[in-house]
Amino acid sequence: MSWARERQTLDAGQIHYGPHQSLRLRERPSNSAVQRPPQFNWNADQPEEGAKGRPRNLKELPLPMELKKAIRQVQQMKVPVMSNWQSWKISKSKTMKRFLEESREVLAYVAPWRRTLHKIGGHFGGGVQSYFLFLRFLVVLNFLSFLLIAGFVLAPSIVFQSSPGNSETQNSIDQIECMIYSPEPQSLSVFYQYFLDLLTGMGFMEYSYLFYGFYNNTEMMNLQLSYNIPMAYLLTTAFYFIFCLICIVLRMGAVIRDVVKTGGRAVGGYSTLVFTAWDYGLQGNRATNLKQNNIRYQLQMDLEEERIRKVAASLTMAQTVRLYSLRAFLNLVVFGLIGAAFYAIFKATQFSQSQTGGDFLDLIVQYLPSIVITAANFLVPFLCDKIALLERHSPSTTVILALLRAVFLRLVSLGVLLFTLWNGITCNGVTESAACSVCQYNHKQYPCWETRVGQEMYKLTVFDFITVIAVMILVEFPRRMLVDHCPCKLAQFVGRQEFVVPQNVLGLVYGQTVVWTGALFCPLLPAINTIKFIIIFYCRKITLFQNCRPADRTFRSNSSNFFFLLVLLLGWSLATVALIYAAVMIHPSMGCGPFRFLSMMWSVVPDSLQLLSNSSRDFLYFMGSQAFCIPLFVLLCVVLCYIAALASIYGKTVSLLQSQLKMEGRDKQFLVKRIKELNSASRGKKR
Amino acid sequence: MGTSASQLPKDLLSEYQELTFLTKQEILLAHKRFTELLAKDDRSCSNPRLPMSRILTLPELKSNPFKERICLVFSTSDNKDGSLTFEDFLDLLSAFSDSATSDIKSHYAFRIFDFDDDGTLDRKDLERLVNCLTGDTDETRLTSDEMKQLINNILEESDIDKDGTVNLSEFQHVISRSPDFVSSFKIVL
Repeated sequence: MSWARERQTLDAGQIHYGPHQSLRLRERPSNSAVQRPPQFNWNADQPEEGAKGRPRNLKELPLPMELKKAIRQVQQMKVPVMSNWQSWKISKSKTMKRFLEESREVLAYVAPWRRTLHKIGGHFGGGVQSYFLFLRFLVVLNFLSFLLIAGFVLAPSIVFQSSPGNSETQNSIDQIECMIYSPEPQSLSVFYQYFLDLLTGMGFMEYSYLFYGFYNNTEMMNLQLSYNIPMAYLLTTAFYFIFCLICIVLRMGAVIRDVVKTGGRAVGGYSTLVFTAWDYGLQGNRATNLKQNNIRYQLQMDLEEERIRKVAASLTMAQTVRLYSLRAFLNLVVFGLIGAAFYAIFKATQFSQSQTGGDFLDLIVQYLPSIVITAANFLVPFLCDKIALLERHSPSTTVILALLRAVFLRLVSLGVLLFTLWNGITCNGVTESAACSVCQYNHKQYPCWETRVGQEMYKLTVFDFITVIAVMILVEFPRRMLVDHCPCKLAQFVGRQEFVVPQNVLGLVYGQTVVWTGALFCPLLPAINTIKFIIIFYCRKITLFQNCRPADRTFRSNSSNFFFLLVLLLGWSLATVALIYAAVMIHPSMGCGPFRFLSMMWSVVPDSLQLLSNSSRDFLYFMGSQAFCIPLFVLLCVVLCYIAALASIYGKTVSLLQSQLKMEGRDKQFLVKRIKELNSASRGKKR
Repeated sequence: MGTSASQLPKDLLSEYQELTFLTKQEILLAHKRFTELLAKDDRSCSNPRLPMSRILTLPELKSNPFKERICLVFSTSDNKDGSLTFEDFLDLLSAFSDSATSDIKSHYAFRIFDFDDDGTLDRKDLERLVNCLTGDTDETRLTSDEMKQLINNILEESDIDKDGTVNLSEFQHVISRSPDFVSSFKIVL
């Protein structure tokens, strides 16, 4: 392309496809005007250039490379007048940008399972990929948490256990009875005992680094170094929670930015679907055909839905009343089911806590709460789904409703389990009762209650893992074999299993919540969970590629991502509330653990504050005082209000601009009509 | 590109890095894939063009219903045959890359959907678009009633100035309100 010609095309005007060109182009679709490549206005950039000192990013111009190169050359010619400072700034920003790019590349390279995720996205679309991305996020989170705990609690404990010169605080205490705790297993045990112990976290597992009870209240006091294990234990856990919160919020922020940008609501279902539905990353004919089927199905469903809505709008009063009373009744049934599930969990936990023993039957009793929770979480959502069909909501509402019910069930069932345990530990909260009056907690049944809670969470984690594996081997795989090799109608009707993203994500959230709840009582649970999630990743990948067909309904990856994180945050808050309550309100057990001589876990923090120098202590007290907190709170409120106001103003601006566009469109149509009229009038005159 | 067909000169590479959203590795990979597709005798010529039929053998594009449109949009060839030079190919990958902005993606999406290249999406464009999405065979197409209703609905929703077509700014308005677009408008080698 010659320079002159280039110049000419480029000077011709702004980047084309502006809104005002459309009418003209439709009126006169001559080829020469239409088939022109996008153009660039040389002069338009100049004010921007002057203001910013740096021209607009060339990457962001929708032009072919040749033109971009030419523009770049011109820009480079224009640059010279510049102070040293400016040129230094520019070169610095350039190196900075390059550094950022390179580090991003390295990160992308280090990130595990990149190719696998890419492949999954190519074969099953963004929805399923978002599940695996979420899983990877959890794996990384758990692994970092494990490093944190290993660095600050585990390693010091191991070192101080063996090194001399540490001082174990030995307070004189009068409640000798409370301190009896002998978790050492019997010397003679059957061979399968080890296996049982591994599953229940009892026996040889109980008194190990795995659980709270094993940690000592060692305080290392040297000239160079002082290390307080109880303090480290508590603060690490607190920091772990804050760390998780930050990770979730950061991830949420990235997602919510898009949601806010879109104004929280889509312009319209159909145009969004048609313009954005295609997933360009899909590879292979099978995936493409599936996606096409999906889109067709969705379009037909939406059109159908619209019809249903029209029918619903035209319902008579009596029909509406009947429909709503039916829905109310079905909701009652659902809540009855959920309530029954909670009661069953409560009873099962009570029963399993009151039993002690060591044989195989006991294993089942030990696992009873986990079994009941898993069964309830399998059965109740299944029934809810069936009930939802009767409710005659629109399909999208049905999906959301089913999810909300499942979330509620999952998280509250964990809450019920915790409540039952609390009931047993604190004698229903009445510390004056016979069993609890001596030690403030039920020391006969729970000599080291923290370890017990940790074991409970350990069992839940292990059982969850076992179910995932078992379902894969015993249900999903045979089903696929049956469907593939058995020609009978029933098998073909059942078909391959669908990979339902929301339910699977809920399972992950549940597992993570259990880990958080157990974090204080079983410090190595994040490590176990890391391994568990890694194995689950591979299992899911195998089932996905071997046994599954994609779901009929696609899930919009971004909007559902936000929902996943929200549910995760819910789980996080549940665990946090439970742990704060345990650290502040319940007396730590006196026979074991780092807090054995304290009246509550939290009191280790004020105690160690006393050891600090005066100024730093005063500073910390000031940070915690009302004089600091209230102004901070007020300031945050003001900032929040400001941001909320800003957001609403943007929203208003959007609608204002929209109406302005409409007006302009009308003006334009009016003018076009006038021109046509005048044209025909003048033509008539000529004749 | 000189004599060594598999190697890009360093200054060219950094220029490409500046002008596209691609990273160094991605550009090198793109170059590798591009030269692999070239016929033997084309490799020596200075700025070879890859015909559309060869490009469409890439597995990333092979089964995409918009594959021809994508080539036509990114082609700078004077006789509109959809053939791509290496730089056109980079433009394509840049627009479809992870880090491209939503603006640039929606711009190219609009041009891909604008089947008759007249700068607006009219009813015919929309119909062809929907057919691409649902599969363009007799049993996969929507019925004409459904199609009519669907196109009416689309125009109702997104044709703000009511001129019967969707223009670029209206299109970008719809896209800007759909958070999933950026993540789905993506082709990675």
